[in-house]
Amino acid sequence: MNQHNKVRINKLPTGVPGLDEILGGGLPEFSFNIVAGAPGCGKTTLAHQFVFANATEERPALYFTVLGEPALKMLRYQQQYTFFDPTKLGNAVRFINLSEELVKDGLQGVLKEITKHVQDTNAGIVVVDSFRTVLRREHHGNREVEVQTFVQELALFLTSWEATTFLIGEYSEAELDNNPIFTVADGLFWLYQQVERNSVVRKFQTMKLRGQMSVPGMHTFRISDAGLQAFSRTLGLTGVKKKTVDRKRLSTGIPKLDEMMGGGIPEGDSLLVAGSSGTGKSLLASQFISSGLREGEPGIVAVFEERPDEYADRAASFGLDMETSLNDGSLEIIYLRPLDLSVDETMQALIDAVQRTGAKRLVLDSLAGFEMALAPGFRTDFRESLYRMIYALTGIGITVLSTLEMEEAFDKFPFSSYTISFLTDDIIRFRYVEIDGRLRKIMMVVKMRGGDHSNEIREYQIGPRGITIGDRLTGYTHLITGIPNRLSGSSGEKRIQDSKGRGEANDRGDKK
Amino acid sequence: MREIAEQLSAIEAAATNVHEDDSPATCRVCEKLRRPLTRLAGAAGFNSLLSRALTIAQREAPVLNRVHVKENGSLDGLSDEAEASAPVLVAHLLNLLNVFIGEALTMGLLREIWPELPGLKMNAPRKESE
Repeated sequence: MNQHNKVRINKLPTGVPGLDEILGGGLPEFSFNIVAGAPGCGKTTLAHQFVFANATEERPALYFTVLGEPALKMLRYQQQYTFFDPTKLGNAVRFINLSEELVKDGLQGVLKEITKHVQDTNAGIVVVDSFRTVLRREHHGNREVEVQTFVQELALFLTSWEATTFLIGEYSEAELDNNPIFTVADGLFWLYQQVERNSVVRKFQTMKLRGQMSVPGMHTFRISDAGLQAFSRTLGLTGVKKKTVDRKRLSTGIPKLDEMMGGGIPEGDSLLVAGSSGTGKSLLASQFISSGLREGEPGIVAVFEERPDEYADRAASFGLDMETSLNDGSLEIIYLRPLDLSVDETMQALIDAVQRTGAKRLVLDSLAGFEMALAPGFRTDFRESLYRMIYALTGIGITVLSTLEMEEAFDKFPFSSYTISFLTDDIIRFRYVEIDGRLRKIMMVVKMRGGDHSNEIREYQIGPRGITIGDRLTGYTHLITGIPNRLSGSSGEKRIQDSKGRGEANDRGDKK
Repeated sequence: MREIAEQLSAIEAAATNVHEDDSPATCRVCEKLRRPLTRLAGAAGFNSLLSRALTIAQREAPVLNRVHVKENGSLDGLSDEAEASAPVLVAHLLNLLNVFIGEALTMGLLREIWPELPGLKMNAPRKESE
């Protein structure tokens, strides 16, 4: 069969934001699916979202409840979600209790009743909740053949009648082997709810999905008033980075730094600004964003350690007007502080903001704050998550500037911590040096994947208009240790031409 | 709720003449509620709801003390004298539904069974202590 005459499988929207993308575009029509997981992990809510998103009067959804949560209570709780549409009840969405049929007539009674209702109503969607309770009653003694026959007959019938089916069950992963229901199923979706220290983390996994490519791996999801929201590990940002040599260069807002970087930051790069507290990392980030705004490039600043108004006020104290851009929507400062965030949720918030504003520049200030905002369970995967996030964002052409606070040591000079330098294209390093009994600031461009850059170590200062970079600091060796040696015969060094308040550590440019 | 219950009884009483059904109007109201509610909550579920409603109604109208719910969910022992107070029972059944699934779904259910039911607004769910 060639590519032109193969059957086209329609994909139904799940009604769960983010989930269609994880499934590869939606749920295959007429598929026979299992939703499994422990109690309380969101199985029923997921099924309801699907039902309310797809059911119509012509092809209604039949929601069979069996020896599980009583339908009255299910309705009581589920109607609290915003997706619940009471006008669909009774016509497009119909709840039917099969407990009596199961108790009286066993599996065949259930099959007969489902068959009758599906035929009578021309149902397009069938949910059995909980399917586990249906089988549990029969899954003893030597009745496994009967169970297998029942599952196969049910799957055959529902598929023949063009129904998309969800069977919901409280299964454990240990039951995956040799269970006929999992063999018959076209789709097998597992929901997890894990307690990690003081946080609860929910995850979704597609263990099996026939007919289409889903995004592999575990995806976090959240349950809110709107029901489930899933966060794909890729968030749909699967754009491939095109690293051309002649990419546009973005100004940092500091002309001499642009010169050192060979004309600015290559568009779509990830730049890491590392340095200890008070060295001006956040100020550089603000100047970078402000420079973009002046060029008509919308921006996003994700802050984790201070509130947006504080961030904007501090920028204003350096003559950087963020207020106007905040008001006209070309700039968003997003404050992400909840302590049980997943990287994917954070990423989704950033992507949403990027789509709202059409942002070209993004600042993550800072990575340490970002890590702290995550649920403890996600911190162990921070590097991997950060990689996915930055790769995805830069893949769609966003230029990302991240700040990273470094512990200052005077016997070594790490370029960055977290061993994350591999995921950045460019690195700028700020640090203090001790000269003549004073703390002074030096900076260097450590790495630029996109091309040549200055290898000079320069002194810089933080003044009322932001960062001013001077010339190369000469007359010393071992500057990067923080405790340089004066070269013999050297009487001094070049200094910033217009420096005022020279050599004073100025904390205004960075957060505590 | 009482007003709706009386309206339902009135609708069924009026239908008595048309269909020559001599069972008490309240029995027919409960019977009509039984079908969709059994489909929704199962026979045992409906039985529980009706029994609960009857227990509360009996406190308010002792004349209903001789009424009981049969295993199949139908009412038994509803005398002519008790029939006059039977809307109390229906009102409590509706009130229970209102408590559990809310006004919108309860009214939707009633309109499905009695399309001629005029648009009424339910009172807030009544607490047992009231």
